[in-house]
Amino acid sequence: MTARLPLAATRAPGSASEEDQGRRLAGLLLELARCINPEVAATLPSRLEDDPRLEALRGVLLEREQVALARLQRKFDDPRELADAVGAVLPAAFALAAAQDERLGQVIAPTVERAAQASIQKNPGTMVDILYPVMGPAIRKAIAETLEGTLQSINQAVKHSLSWRGLKWRIEAWRSGSSFADVVLRHTAVFRVEHLFLIHRKTGLLLAHVAREDATTRDPQLVSAMLSAIQDFVRDSFDESAGGGTSGRSIDSLRLGDLLLWCEEGPSAFLAAVIHGNPPAMVRTRLGETLATVHDQWRTALEAFDGDTAPFDEAGPLLRPCLLSQGAEAHRKVSPLLWAVPLALLVALGYWLAQRIAEGRRVDSYVAALQDQPGIVVTGAERRDGKWLVSGLRDPLAAQPEELLAQAHLDPARIMGRWEPYQALHPAIVLKRLQATLDPPATVSLTQDASGIRASGSAPQQWVDKARAFMLTLPAGAPKVDLSALKDVQDPDYIRLRDAIQAQLIHFDFSVPRPAADQESKLDAVAADMRELVKVARALGFPVKVTIVGHADATGKDTSNLALSVGRAEVVRSMLRARGVDPAVLAVRGAGPLEPLRPGASEDELSMNRRVSFGVSTGD
Amino acid sequence: MLQKKICLLGAFGVGKTSLVRRFVDTIFSDAYLTTVGVKIDKKLVTVGTEQMALILWDIAGEDEVSAVRVSYLRGAAGYLLVVDGTRPETLDTAVSIQSRIGAEIGGVPFVVLLNKADLQEDWAIPMERIQVLEAAGWVFRRTSAKTGFGVEETFQELAARLAR
Repeated sequence: MTARLPLAATRAPGSASEEDQGRRLAGLLLELARCINPEVAATLPSRLEDDPRLEALRGVLLEREQVALARLQRKFDDPRELADAVGAVLPAAFALAAAQDERLGQVIAPTVERAAQASIQKNPGTMVDILYPVMGPAIRKAIAETLEGTLQSINQAVKHSLSWRGLKWRIEAWRSGSSFADVVLRHTAVFRVEHLFLIHRKTGLLLAHVAREDATTRDPQLVSAMLSAIQDFVRDSFDESAGGGTSGRSIDSLRLGDLLLWCEEGPSAFLAAVIHGNPPAMVRTRLGETLATVHDQWRTALEAFDGDTAPFDEAGPLLRPCLLSQGAEAHRKVSPLLWAVPLALLVALGYWLAQRIAEGRRVDSYVAALQDQPGIVVTGAERRDGKWLVSGLRDPLAAQPEELLAQAHLDPARIMGRWEPYQALHPAIVLKRLQATLDPPATVSLTQDASGIRASGSAPQQWVDKARAFMLTLPAGAPKVDLSALKDVQDPDYIRLRDAIQAQLIHFDFSVPRPAADQESKLDAVAADMRELVKVARALGFPVKVTIVGHADATGKDTSNLALSVGRAEVVRSMLRARGVDPAVLAVRGAGPLEPLRPGASEDELSMNRRVSFGVSTGD
Repeated sequence: MLQKKICLLGAFGVGKTSLVRRFVDTIFSDAYLTTVGVKIDKKLVTVGTEQMALILWDIAGEDEVSAVRVSYLRGAAGYLLVVDGTRPETLDTAVSIQSRIGAEIGGVPFVVLLNKADLQEDWAIPMERIQVLEAAGWVFRRTSAKTGFGVEETFQELAARLAR
């Protein structure tokens, strides 16, 4: 401006000489240089005084600017006025600078920090007052959550402190150095996080959703929008401090029976977890941490979110670890080996019981078998000192109780018997007794029938006689023994020898007690037969008796004849004795003339009657 | 997938809920409208090659006593204003809602649905009013909840506008 005006002024007259014009122009340029550069002003003297017109011109042309400049100068010089002026534009200047880039913030941050520090040092109360409305609710919320967690812990602790499990947990707490309540919670919290919805706060749109494979849900997009709407609804309806914005309190949890919905709020998004069961506070901490990570990683994407969820595809893997769960731990941790111990005990106990019952049954069947035996009466069977004692009455001829043990599969070492002997009248036992006592020959068979005992077959007369005698000794009421069917039979040897002996006759001369001289061979033969007879009788076990009968003829007196006949018998006896016949079986009898062989009186007949005959009989 | 929050607004009895019922997926009953004041539906539309999920916030109707909960509008990418073509006062309500929404969430795309288009003989909204509003930037579409006329197209059109 100052440069152009003088030029214009010079052009206006239009008649000045070229040289004068050049000089003026040079002077003007020099003045201009002085104005611009202070160094030039110092070295070059002002040329204004050379041309006073210039000064006048300036005074005329720049009067208003000079006034304005003076005013500005005053403002700069007076600190109060300068402060006023800067104060008026400072907010706008800050706003503009902040909009351009972040340098302003970086520059003033240290100063602000120092100022805040100084302020707090000077009067801490002020800062507390300032922060209280902000921090108060946050602190209250934190305390409330902590208290809730603690209460839950206490509840669990009280519930479990007196049980056996409680004792185990107390030991675990002592060993691990954590609190008992924590240990209790760790073991008892049974829960499953089934769904996680990451929801954009402002729009209620679903950013990411993860769920367990087996969890079912309706359309997650709809669910997340509805959750968001309900959050808004509750906030609007009950929280007057919210003011309709995204700030303010929100629903922390909703419970529907076993189902729990936990919401963790962040500045741009919230995380909703659908949980089954009773989760510990640790789960909420985990949700909070995860949400913070989401905000950290997707800060710009969250702020610029316009419905495109593609940037949040990576959030799924981040959320998935939050699908925490815990089953009833006590059941999970039992090793199969631990089960084996009670199982083995149970099996052993079962085996022992089964054995005991089976043994009891076997003893019962053993006793029943004993009762069926004739001649045995069981009066008791009891367990004593781990063994069985079976007691009762037993006929000595009855079966051996021990023989029945094997049938009942019983260990003889475990069964003791105590038997009182008695005599049984059971037909079977009576039969046995008969057989034991009478020793019947093989030809005799004794059988038991409905009416008693029946003997059949054949037996020697003497055995039959013995049997009959024995019957008389049986007590009254004993079974009847029928011997009527027995046939009397004799031993053929006995019969032969008896007949042979009885056929022999020893002859005598008249009135001589000694046998005739020719009778020696006869005597030898009869003695041999008698010896054999005794042997046979002894072998068969019956007594035998040979009666030597002396005879006389009818001549002479009867008394002398009787003496003669006895004498003849005695002589023969001694002769037989001399020939080796046992004298114990020999008996003598004198018949005199009373048993003649021939009734006649001729010499031949008389001679025939002078004889000794033999009679053989069994029995005593 | 692209998702957009769309609000469905209008006076009581203009047929908002029945208008969309046949065209959307939902898991919530109408009872939510009277309890929570909003019911969420979903409409899948294809824009170009991409699918877009319109999350419809069917917000309970408004009258003299109950105003729309403003917090439900937050974050909406667009909205549908429903007017009963046989009741001119519902257009007044729509105008009032529109002015309040404009203040609350700014200028997002919206379409005004003139519902009950099937009741031609009862039609009571003068053409001039519509023209005036159209001049102010309003977009009108005639629809019928009864016949389904115009509904699908409106969703399609709104989605196309949001995708741009």
